[in-house]
Amino acid sequence: MPAEKYMLGLFINEDQAVEAVQGLREFSWPLHKVHSPIPSHKLSDALGLKKSPVGLFTLGGGIIGFFTGFLLAIYTALQWNLIVSGKPIVALIPFFIVGFEFTILFAVFGNVIGMLVLSRLPRFNNLELYDPRCSGEHIGILTSCLPEHQNQLAEFFTQKGGEVRVFETPVSDTDHE
Amino acid sequence: MKHPFQIRIMNKKIVRNIFILLIAIGLGAFFLALLGPDPARAWQAFLLNFLIWSGVAQGAFLFSTVMHTTGARWSYKVSGLAESFAAFFPISFILFLLLVIGRDHIFPWLHYDLHGKEVWLNLPFLFTRDALALLILYGLGLAYLYHTLWFKLGSLPPRGKIQALLARSWGRTMKDERKSRRRTSVFSILYMTAFALVLSLLGYDLVMSMDSHWYSTLFGAYTFVKAFYIGLGGIIILAALLHMAPNSGVKLLPAEFIDTGKLFFAFCLVWADFFYVQFVVIWYGNIPEVTSYIIQRTMTPPWQTLAWIVFISGFIAPFLILLNRNIKARPTAMLVVCTGVFIGIWLEHLLLLGPAYHPDAAALPLRLSDGLISLGFLGLMMFAVTSFLSTFPDITRNKPGEVQ
Repeated sequence: MPAEKYMLGLFINEDQAVEAVQGLREFSWPLHKVHSPIPSHKLSDALGLKKSPVGLFTLGGGIIGFFTGFLLAIYTALQWNLIVSGKPIVALIPFFIVGFEFTILFAVFGNVIGMLVLSRLPRFNNLELYDPRCSGEHIGILTSCLPEHQNQLAEFFTQKGGEVRVFETPVSDTDHE
Repeated sequence: MKHPFQIRIMNKKIVRNIFILLIAIGLGAFFLALLGPDPARAWQAFLLNFLIWSGVAQGAFLFSTVMHTTGARWSYKVSGLAESFAAFFPISFILFLLLVIGRDHIFPWLHYDLHGKEVWLNLPFLFTRDALALLILYGLGLAYLYHTLWFKLGSLPPRGKIQALLARSWGRTMKDERKSRRRTSVFSILYMTAFALVLSLLGYDLVMSMDSHWYSTLFGAYTFVKAFYIGLGGIIILAALLHMAPNSGVKLLPAEFIDTGKLFFAFCLVWADFFYVQFVVIWYGNIPEVTSYIIQRTMTPPWQTLAWIVFISGFIAPFLILLNRNIKARPTAMLVVCTGVFIGIWLEHLLLLGPAYHPDAAALPLRLSDGLISLGFLGLMMFAVTSFLSTFPDITRNKPGEVQ
């Protein structure tokens, strides 16, 4: 069986990209991946993606950070054990500031870790199936077809208002998403 | 069978009569309290309600100016609702002037030795500066409203006498769209600036001064942040009520409720933050004349319980509830949350003013008349807002080409 051709439809317009994603459902060509330089609810809806659970990582990070900040402040205060201005050693009112700052910091950590884990990043395979313009102003829709359908697929993308890039490089690992 | 239009008019009349009844109840309760053994209580409840309801109107109206200045396009309908609160401005001003009659009952410092503060805290100067400040604030607000109404309604055929009057005035003054837009922006920025300054002044004069030996430089900022917080709550309550009412003609998208709810959530945090930044400085400084104010309100009975109720209903509960995105899209849930916050902030006013009026109170100085007077103010507010919306029903309609 001849090797499949990988093809990237590049769209500068979000609505056209959404139309192309929806239009691909009418054909048997597999939709491997969509690269977008911006978060797009329209694309997420068109792809039927569920809400990302990354918010739970952020919330978890924030809660851990809040208590870490408090505990760190308490621990260091107890280590020095100095009474300042007649205030208690473990004074929860000012420690709230440390707790708050750690909440923000750890929530950001949680968010970044969540994003990396859920996106399974960093990823070093399939880099040849990427176009740097997808980090600029283009939305890229990666699909594949048998060589005899190449022209038909290219025409589909062109009709939807996109450009087409065909990948000639043989692909060893097809990490489809 | 009744025509839907007839039903709508009937509903409007019923609603209007309910508001008039509320006003009558409030007036009755106020006069009964005034003729009772402790007339001071009536005036103190009057002041508390003047502050909170004026704050709601001023803060809600601020939403429209903020949206205009930032060029927001999502909030066209919500801004229309926010502008309807301007109808309370003249009422608020009259209510302020009425405070002159009850002056002996609402300023405890009249009987104190002020140790030099009498230069600032004397009745003629206080009433003159505050009346002038309110005039400027409301004048700027109404000037902004005059301009923004032209952009919303200027191209439509006038409905009713007031719109016809406005249309004639617009015909004389609003000729160049570019100039008018610039003037609208200038008035919106001036209103926002005046909002911060005037509400700070009212906070210092009508709340902070009641404990005349206590001071906090941040109290003014705390006051206007709180007004925007409850103003946003007022908008959401109005939006939810109109959205749920059949035939109101106002329907908001879930996204509009969510975005307004997000702002409300954000200002819940800002309000708590402004409380905390005052509190932590007072805690560190530990100066007896400053800490006594906080200690009295948070650590001594009967106020300590009230302080916790205020903290939970004004911050903890809305913070935890509004973390959830779906709740912000539900008008009924938002109505409950915002009403809870409003009650919390009403009690917070009582917490700030109460100990100055009742330093030796054994129990919370809350009577049925306080609640009934508040109902009267609620009636006044709703009467003003619904009258505005009836006069300008197109103000909340979709603008062609606006982002939805």
